[in-house]
Amino acid sequence: MNKTQIPMARKDGLVVQEMPDELLVYDLDTNKAHCLNQTALNVWKACDGKNNIADLARMYGSGNEDLIWLAIDQLNENDLLEKESELDFNGRTRRDLIKKVGFASVIALPVVASLTAPSSILAVGSCACTANSDCVAGTPNANAGCPTGSCGATACVA
Amino acid sequence: MIKSRENILNTDKFFTFESFGVVIRIGATISKHSEKFKQMLKLALPENFKLVDNQISAEHTFFIEYTSAKILKMFQNGEYIKEADSELRFFNYLESVVRLTVGEHAKAKLFLHAGVVAINGRALIIPAKSFRGKTTLVKELVLRGAVYYSDEYAILDENGLVYPFPKTLSVRGITDEYQQLEVSVESLGGKAGSGPCPVGMVLITEYSADAVWQPQRLSAGAGIMEIIPHTLAIRKQTKFALQVLKNLASRAIICKSSRGEACDFAEKIIEFFEENA
Repeated sequence: MNKTQIPMARKDGLVVQEMPDELLVYDLDTNKAHCLNQTALNVWKACDGKNNIADLARMYGSGNEDLIWLAIDQLNENDLLEKESELDFNGRTRRDLIKKVGFASVIALPVVASLTAPSSILAVGSCACTANSDCVAGTPNANAGCPTGSCGATACVA
Repeated sequence: MIKSRENILNTDKFFTFESFGVVIRIGATISKHSEKFKQMLKLALPENFKLVDNQISAEHTFFIEYTSAKILKMFQNGEYIKEADSELRFFNYLESVVRLTVGEHAKAKLFLHAGVVAINGRALIIPAKSFRGKTTLVKELVLRGAVYYSDEYAILDENGLVYPFPKTLSVRGITDEYQQLEVSVESLGGKAGSGPCPVGMVLITEYSADAVWQPQRLSAGAGIMEIIPHTLAIRKQTKFALQVLKNLASRAIICKSSRGEACDFAEKIIEFFEENA
C-alpha cells in the first residue's frame, strides 16, 4: 500500500536555486533554507505526482527502496512535499536503515541540511541594551536582539 | 508622540536621505537630535549617504521622540521600537537599525555582515556576527598588508563583485574591553580599497581558545548555507540574495576553520588565501 503512494514535490512558497550537484531551497513560509545533496534533489525532482515509491526505487535499481524511504523521510521532515507521505521502514529504525543503505549502496545517502534564517535584529551591530539597567556585567540579558545573551559593563559580550 | 508619516511631514525637524537606492526619512522632536543623527549617518554610510528633497516619498521613516522625562524613544514606520535614557546607546542602536534597513532593502546590492579585505587584487570575505572578533581580525590582516574594504558589511553586486564600505574601523580594547573607538585605516598604516573587487575566498571562522587552524573547503551549497545567516536581505529579497550567493560561490572558494587569536592567525590566513584563492 505504501509503495503505491505518489509523493509530490512542493512548489508553492519556495525559492529554488540550482547549484552543481546540490539544490538550495528557501521556504518563504518558515524562513528556512535547505540544501539538498544530489541524492535528495534527484528524489525530490522525481516526485512529480506521477511516480510512486516503487517507481522512484526503480530509478536507482533493485534494492534501493530503503534509500528512497530515507529521502522521503527527510523531505517529509522539512515540509518539501505537498502532502506528508506515510513512511514504511518495514519495522526497522531510521538508524538501521541508514546503516544498511550506507554499507550496501554506492549512492550517497540523501541529506537535507536546514537552518532558519535569522531575523534582521540578530545582526544589529550594537547591543540592544539601551538603558543602564539593561546591561549588568556578567548577568544574562533577555533583551531581544542581544547578540550574545550576556552583558559586559556597557555592551553584550561573548 | 508622532506616529505617522503625515505627522512627520508636518515638522521641520526632519531630513530625507537615499542610500543604496533606499529612501529613508528621519524626524525628531528636537532639531539637535535630527542634526546629530544626520552627522552620524554620513560617517556610518560612507560615500553612500545622499540628502534628497523632503518631498520625495520615503520607503521607511524613523522618528526620535524626546519626552519630558528625558527619555529617548524610537519609532520605525510609526511603530514604537525602543527607548533609552542613554543618548550614546540610543543613537548607536538607531544607527545600527537604520543601516540594517538600508542593507535589507538595498537595490541591486547584497549586504553580508562581514569583514572584507583584498589580497593581491582579490577579496577575502569573513562573515561573522557582532562581538565575534571580526574587526580585530580585519585590523590584523590590514597591518600585514591587506587592503581594507570593510569591517562590517560585504557589499556584493549581482555578479558577486564586492564593493568597499570604507567606514572607520570600530575597534574595541583600546581604552577598555568594551568601549568601541572609531579608527581610520590610514591611522593604522593601512590602505582602503577604492573599487569593486572579485572575491577569491569566503572564510567562515570563529575564535576558539583551543582552535587548530584546519581550513576545509566547503561545497557551494554547504558554503552558502554558512553565509545565509549573515545575509541581511535573505528574508526581504530572497530570490536576489540566493542568485548573488550562487554567483559568489561559483567564482570564489568557501572555507571553514576555527581560529585562535587574530594576531597569531592573520599570517596563516594570508598564506592560505595566497595559496588557494
